[in-house]
Amino acid sequence: MMKYKKKKSKKMKKRVKKEAENMVSLTIDGTVITIEKGKTILDAADSLNIEIPTLCYHKALSPYGACRLCVVEIQKNGKKKIQASCVYQVEEGIEVKTQTPELQNIRETMIKLMMARAPRSEKVKEIARKLGVERTEFISKDEDCILCGLCIRMCSERMGQSAIGFKLRGDKREVSPPFDVESPRCIVCGACFSVCPTASERLKKLSSRPVQPLLDEFDQGLRQRSVVRIPFPQAVPNAAIIDKEHCVHFLNDRCKICQDLCEAEAIDFNQKEEVIDLRVGSVIVSCGFEVYDGKKERAYGNGRYVNIVTSIEFERILSASGPYQGHILRPGDKKEPRKIAFIQCVGSRTDEHKYCSSVCCMHATKEAVIAMEHSPGLACTIFYMDLRAFGKGFDEYYEKASRSGVRYIRCRPSLIEEVPESRDLIIKYSDEIGKMCAEEFDMIVLSCGLQPLKQMSELTQKLGIRLNEHGFCKTDTFTPIESSRRGLFVCGPCAEPKDIPETVTQSSAAAAKAMVLLTEARNSLIAKKEYPPEKDVSDQKPRIGVFICHCGINIGGYVNVPQVVEYTRNLPHVVYVEDNLYTCSQDSQRRIIEMIKEHALNRVVIASCTPRTHEPLFRDTIREGGLNPYLFEMANIRDQCSWIHMTEPQLATEKAKDLVKMSVAKAARLEPLKRVEIDVVQKALVIGG
Amino acid sequence: MKKIKDLQELDKTGEQGLKRLYPEGRTRVTVGMATCGLATGAEPVFNYLAALAKDREDQILVVPVGCIGFCQREPLIDALIPHLPRITFAKVDGEKVQEIARHLIQNRISVKHAAWRYDEDEFLILNTARRLGNGSLPAAIESIIHYHEIPFFQKQLKIALRNCGYINPEDIEEYIARGGYSSLYRVLNEMKPEEIITEVKLSGLRGRGGAGFPTGMKWEICRDVKDDVKYIICNADEGDPGAYMDRSILEGDPHSVIEGMLIGAYAIGASAGYIYVRTEYPLAIKRFTKAIEAAEAYGFLGEDIFNRRFDFKITISEGAGAFVCGEETSLIASVEGRPPEPRLRPPFPAESGVWGKPTNINNVETWSNIPVIIARGGDWFSRIGTDKSKGTKVFSLVGKINDTGLIEVPMGIKLGEILEIGGGISEGKKFKAIQTGGPSGGCIPASLLDLSVDYEKLTDAGSMMGSGGMVVMDEDTCMVDVAKYFLEFLKDESCGKCTSCREGTQQMYDIVKRITEGNGKKEDIELLENLGNVVKVASMCGLGQTAANPVLSTIRYFRDEYISHTIEKRCPALVCKALISYVIEPESCGGCTVCVENCPSDAITGEPKKVHVIDQKKCVKCGICIASCPPKFKAIKIVSPTVK
Repeated sequence: MMKYKKKKSKKMKKRVKKEAENMVSLTIDGTVITIEKGKTILDAADSLNIEIPTLCYHKALSPYGACRLCVVEIQKNGKKKIQASCVYQVEEGIEVKTQTPELQNIRETMIKLMMARAPRSEKVKEIARKLGVERTEFISKDEDCILCGLCIRMCSERMGQSAIGFKLRGDKREVSPPFDVESPRCIVCGACFSVCPTASERLKKLSSRPVQPLLDEFDQGLRQRSVVRIPFPQAVPNAAIIDKEHCVHFLNDRCKICQDLCEAEAIDFNQKEEVIDLRVGSVIVSCGFEVYDGKKERAYGNGRYVNIVTSIEFERILSASGPYQGHILRPGDKKEPRKIAFIQCVGSRTDEHKYCSSVCCMHATKEAVIAMEHSPGLACTIFYMDLRAFGKGFDEYYEKASRSGVRYIRCRPSLIEEVPESRDLIIKYSDEIGKMCAEEFDMIVLSCGLQPLKQMSELTQKLGIRLNEHGFCKTDTFTPIESSRRGLFVCGPCAEPKDIPETVTQSSAAAAKAMVLLTEARNSLIAKKEYPPEKDVSDQKPRIGVFICHCGINIGGYVNVPQVVEYTRNLPHVVYVEDNLYTCSQDSQRRIIEMIKEHALNRVVIASCTPRTHEPLFRDTIREGGLNPYLFEMANIRDQCSWIHMTEPQLATEKAKDLVKMSVAKAARLEPLKRVEIDVVQKALVIGG
Repeated sequence: MKKIKDLQELDKTGEQGLKRLYPEGRTRVTVGMATCGLATGAEPVFNYLAALAKDREDQILVVPVGCIGFCQREPLIDALIPHLPRITFAKVDGEKVQEIARHLIQNRISVKHAAWRYDEDEFLILNTARRLGNGSLPAAIESIIHYHEIPFFQKQLKIALRNCGYINPEDIEEYIARGGYSSLYRVLNEMKPEEIITEVKLSGLRGRGGAGFPTGMKWEICRDVKDDVKYIICNADEGDPGAYMDRSILEGDPHSVIEGMLIGAYAIGASAGYIYVRTEYPLAIKRFTKAIEAAEAYGFLGEDIFNRRFDFKITISEGAGAFVCGEETSLIASVEGRPPEPRLRPPFPAESGVWGKPTNINNVETWSNIPVIIARGGDWFSRIGTDKSKGTKVFSLVGKINDTGLIEVPMGIKLGEILEIGGGISEGKKFKAIQTGGPSGGCIPASLLDLSVDYEKLTDAGSMMGSGGMVVMDEDTCMVDVAKYFLEFLKDESCGKCTSCREGTQQMYDIVKRITEGNGKKEDIELLENLGNVVKVASMCGLGQTAANPVLSTIRYFRDEYISHTIEKRCPALVCKALISYVIEPESCGGCTVCVENCPSDAITGEPKKVHVIDQKKCVKCGICIASCPPKFKAIKIVSPTVK
């Protein structure tokens, strides 16, 4: 057989040579590395995971070489020199040492000098600790700027403004705007402050214009957010988004730090909206609702009085992932309120919105109950017109709330006033026997009604369906899923206000109804979910992984989850334990799959809520991890523990440990089960009906 | 003015210049009008003589010249009467000049005012000498000492300063007469750029700005970089306090620098150049501007120089008061209009300099050596000096020495010989140390007076050549105070970019200041040594890398003074005010009350004929009392440590 070598074409040879010309080989701490020309010694060390201390260096900014902490020893042509590695470009054949007694002495001296200059800087202290330096023998100065130049480079290179620079020289050198006058180029973006290692006060005084924080929409403006962020916890898809309106790149074609640093190359500033044409057989409209804008109720002062919030704002305040991490604080002075009033029917049962919003009485009651559970001693009062507690168990819930101290006053207050100094609120109302009362509260929650989306009319015009008198999608009493057009179904609050369980029920109904129309096409677009092959673990000893959930504050607020985690580590057969904020979230599922692979788990225990909620999800997750779905056990440390032992956190923690211990012991004995399919004769007899 | 395009025209112009250098039938009187001369009162002298000459144009020609070098004796005037040697008159004031002038009008020399004479003028470039006078000298003239017998001039060899003091710096034809621009002609017509570089390499010339990098090698590196646009820079920032070598060359012989730059530009392939002059040199800037204009007018700058399709122009870039601009990357930043800050090298300016283009930077003195090397050959140059340090160096010799001034001596001369050139320590005091290299240098003690002056030896001794400053110190100099002086300068001049220099110089200064104020601690000396060594190694540029030299070298050679200051709280030189007291010796005091009356702080109490006493709490140590105490008593002494 003829063997021949394919000759490298001239073009290929040239390209290989060019690539070789662009590469440089050097030695760092004994290891040879080949890296592109133009990179620095610091870049090369970083790619070898060799750590060199830095201070004035930032990945997204051009290197400056001022702090002298990153000095290294370079041997070139038999000569030794000491240079800053962040600015020194790699050269062919040099030998670099990143740690020698001389370099250590230099770094220690440098940090001691900086400690003398800026004794209060935490960053400097941190670096000193890492270098093993405890004190400085130099004379202290008490500046708060170490002249690293990061703020200046950030402003000039990335923000494109160059509003600040260095003035004067020597120890009189200072960061300042030109001629010490506030620069009109300063866009008050705060980028300088974000890279300042000493959080220098000087940067806060650069402009007299106030900082306009971006307010988090999901948290109802109760806290700030950044331009690049994941919109809220457990968002679907769980991906970061960039706010085009405020992003500096879109504003003045600069920055792009996020894109430069993203190792996954996931950022494309040229992304455009895509319009996709779809041919469908059925449409389900479930576009939801809007909350009535509490500010429209002028007499109630929302928007004017800082301690009056809407129901949605209060929901976020209660949430563990909200602006106050689940602590109940009032927005004005961030103090804990002692008395909260709820005012019902704000924006419902009015001339504008004649209907009842259906869910507010229950959610106000729920909010009052949770608030009182969280802050013992908190008093809640609900001002209502009629209490709508019509669902299953709702009335009992209301009775229980009333018994446990929630005050219900049948009255629709007409006016709220604010006490100027304390910013407390006074509600004037007439009680059930007609007596005029005035009562002071620390905080007021307006239960705002549900209303149709602003775009409802435009949307429904395009869809060809009608709206009812209230602006919601028109349906019939006995056909609540069907819209006015065949083939279009509606579910949830876009048809009329309803709560979550009802919405979920209706959604299943709408899906079923839609499927009826699509019988011919059934299963034609389904892709069978591919699972990885199931591992055979029969000859293995049990390797149990335990995931303990905080469930926000539901579990974590009462059970000492970290303690349970430590306890679980020592249980037999347990090889891995971790705790999660929400084990049922998308990213937690991904994590579970990762940990199964990383630690070769062959059984999983999740200590969280009731199997009713998520057992199928978790079984599916571990199946994706390659395990038989029945090698799974759940410990209910919420419904059966934290929810019922709220007043005894220590005992609840002990019980949680026991519950986990039982589940782990059970899990060790679990055997994989196989699901079999049996043919069913599709005939049924119904007796009764 | 027609531009000079060939050798014939050059020679013809030279002859015109020669006619002014050696006017037939007229006396040429030159007055030293460099800054040193002007500072001592040369201008009124010049004006007097010029007014005199105005009415006697056929008899006397008065010409301003640059620094002759013997600054101690300024104002200096030379008189060249036809058929007589050149006679120099020193320390000429209003009175003297009148008498000298009276004699000159009668074609005579006022011998009693004469300082020295020259029998011939050397034309270094042309390798000839012109005899002055016609052989037989009158006895009176012969009695005037020949300048070569004067210790100040004996061991000097003028190469960079070859024309200073001889020619009118604003007269290009006088420059041409002494061989000026003939090297340029030679280079453009007879040599290839590579050959020029070879010649400079052969000469062994090293940068005269202080770093001492071999000039030929530097030119070669820049030449080898492929770029259509390259620049030449002359570093005339001369920041060392008390150094004025470059200033004198620029004021006295600016064309030597222009010619040097032209030759360098041709060798490297540059078509434009900058001279970066410190703004504190207004006279140098004025003279250099005039020189550029003259060179352009005569065709030595501009386009198609000497018909060789070689273009070159020079722009003056002024400094703004920062010592750090002497460092080349900071200088480049300043030329570009940015605040001066050094940057890392590599890349070196030869690869990427001003405006990102290959740039060759050399010092003023380096440039002015180039025409001589071309004219006389690199080999000739290399035979002067030592093994590693070739040629001569201009030093500004100042301090506690009898004859201060500018000297140019061959490399390798001993430090002790330089002291002899300076005529020994003033006021008969004892020599203590010589500080070389400005604030970047160090102090060399008496034990090393045998040291040959060259780049390596000075560095090994803990100092450096620097740009050529030499400050002589005597027993009344406190070395700790000297360190403090230089540290104060350096900390103020640090650009502030890198931690080690900015914080390091500040801390070193604070510690030394503390020591001079009597608050020194035992650990301070070791602290200074450690900090100084780190600053030396960790700083980004030459300023920081040499900032520790003053303190490290004084600790090295005068450690006992530091120990006295810190432990005994004593200043042996009796300088540091916090450590000294002024006391009246009771046995010597005559009770004359002169000091009591003169003391500005009323610190002295005393009745007539009774012993006087100084109240230490009120004494501000101004020294007026010592000055006023009558010599027959000399009762006031300075002591250290302090007394209550």
